[in-house]
Amino acid sequence: MLTYQAEALRDLFTAVVRQNVSPEVWKWLSEKVTPAGDTRQFNIAFVSAPRKTGKAVVQVTKEQDAAIREAGAGLNITTWTTDRLCRIWLLFSLDHTDREKYFQTIEQLFLTAEVNELVALYSALAVLPYPEMWVKRCAEGIRSSIGAALGSVACNNPYPAAYLDEQAWNQLVLKAIFTDTPLNEIIGLNERSNADLAITLSDYAHERWAAHRFLNPLVWRCVGKFINAAIFPDIERLNASPEDYNREAAALACYDSGYLPAQELLNKNPNMKSSIASGQLSWETLAEKMKNYVLQS
Amino acid sequence: MCCSHNITEKDLQPNTSDKSYLDRIRGMQFFDPHIHMVSRTTDDYEAMADAGIVAIIEPAFWVGQPRTGVDTFRDYYSSLIGWERFRSSQFGIKHYCTIGLNSREANNEALAEQVMEILPLFIYKEGVVGVGEIGFDDQTAAEEKYYRLQLELAKEAGLPVQIHTPHRDKKRGTTRSMDIALEHGLDPAMVIVDHNNEETMKEVLDRGFWAAFTIYPFTKMGNERMADIVKQLGTERIMVNSAADWGISDPLAVPKTAALMKDMGISDEDIRMVTYQNAITAFAQSGQIDEADFAAVKDIDQSLKFGKNTVLRGGQQPRTDKSSIIIR
Repeated sequence: MLTYQAEALRDLFTAVVRQNVSPEVWKWLSEKVTPAGDTRQFNIAFVSAPRKTGKAVVQVTKEQDAAIREAGAGLNITTWTTDRLCRIWLLFSLDHTDREKYFQTIEQLFLTAEVNELVALYSALAVLPYPEMWVKRCAEGIRSSIGAALGSVACNNPYPAAYLDEQAWNQLVLKAIFTDTPLNEIIGLNERSNADLAITLSDYAHERWAAHRFLNPLVWRCVGKFINAAIFPDIERLNASPEDYNREAAALACYDSGYLPAQELLNKNPNMKSSIASGQLSWETLAEKMKNYVLQS
Repeated sequence: MCCSHNITEKDLQPNTSDKSYLDRIRGMQFFDPHIHMVSRTTDDYEAMADAGIVAIIEPAFWVGQPRTGVDTFRDYYSSLIGWERFRSSQFGIKHYCTIGLNSREANNEALAEQVMEILPLFIYKEGVVGVGEIGFDDQTAAEEKYYRLQLELAKEAGLPVQIHTPHRDKKRGTTRSMDIALEHGLDPAMVIVDHNNEETMKEVLDRGFWAAFTIYPFTKMGNERMADIVKQLGTERIMVNSAADWGISDPLAVPKTAALMKDMGISDEDIRMVTYQNAITAFAQSGQIDEADFAAVKDIDQSLKFGKNTVLRGGQQPRTDKSSIIIR
């Protein structure tokens, strides 16, 4: 399991919030989360936060950015807006001594959320108290077909890799693939790859090939470690592809594999092997290349 | 919604489609401040984007089938700020909405009470540009009660009000709607009175309210009449919308009216006021409309190109060739 430090993240987020809002707004935020505060006031604060905080991208120091990535298993908040971070702060700062009441309050926000609120709610999962309580809600977010909402669960979010079971995790990866969500932004993609997912992805590749549709080469990132006699023919097919991105994916998958025929296949291409060893070719460089590619699905 | 004239065989024949009017309004931008997209298809979204519609307002309304529980109201409001907003963005159209309890369903008082309780959760949301569409249908006591309560809600939230005026007994219903709004201390500049016609417009404008006209075949305004009104009254506080919904209506009513006005000699600037600017000015009083977002929702990054294609981001939908019998 991939882990992250929720407590450290909460402290870091609080510091970033304070330096991105005026003292008046900080006071306004703080008043909404006291144990004595009523739920109606909290709800209105969450909903109307952008009117108070503005929607500028947050200013984060280099040190804070590094500390957040460290505590958050790679989490990057440098593109987040102030309203999003303030909403997240409200969510984890709300008095939560009564577990059931806290759950009902947050759940009601999910049920009535517009798109930007959903983004804030899902990106807050990693810093909410009672982390195990949100597993079903996280799985529900993965079912969303609203691009931004799904993206906020699947991408740049350390919660799913830490808390989802294998079945739900595999759904996350599949849903991301089906919706052209950038796979390289999924935290824990390597660590949580598994044999069952590899078989599903091999089947998926066969369907795409039968339909003469585009297949994102990044799917093979989840397959490399699990290449066996059944999957190896897929890699051979990729390796014989006229498209360079497919051949690169085949080489990268072989590089990750302990399966002997896969290693031998890569050895036949020493140039590719050495550029992987030197870091010139990696799943990240392939992801960068595919970003500029029009997906024809 | 329905045809009130006698139908002949000719009325049932399919029409040929002449889209040459699109050339006459090319480059113009339109804002449709009243359209019910939950009842429309992706074909409509594509055609609207092609005709120059850059932003819309979807008022909460009666969906045809009466609702029986507060949860279906909640899900409907959520769909206006969630799913429909997303669906619209896939076609590069910025989607706003107004939230309210419509007059027809205000008559189910037990349900109306529950709906009133959840409205505050929604009206403060981003992109909610008013309380609407509210007002009278049958002009019952229950309708009046919830109309008044929602006027108070709008006042508290500082939001514009979008008033639906009744089909039946329209003139008196319109007058009464305005009387009550003033009685509650609303500034007429914050109130958009919708579905006007030649009989109601003068009083609405004279009393300082915004006058919206719905171009809707058979039951509301026709756009030749609309062009005559602009010629007669000018453009101040006048706006045009389609109110397209589940009935026989036209999601392109605003751009079509612009083309017709052009043909009838109305200036481009006057057309811009009634098909774009006035609606923005009225509803931007909510603080929730930023014209820069109309371009941002298209989210087209011109710097990113693959081959000769611009890369669309933000989940826009690729076009299919509708004339092709092959579907890939």
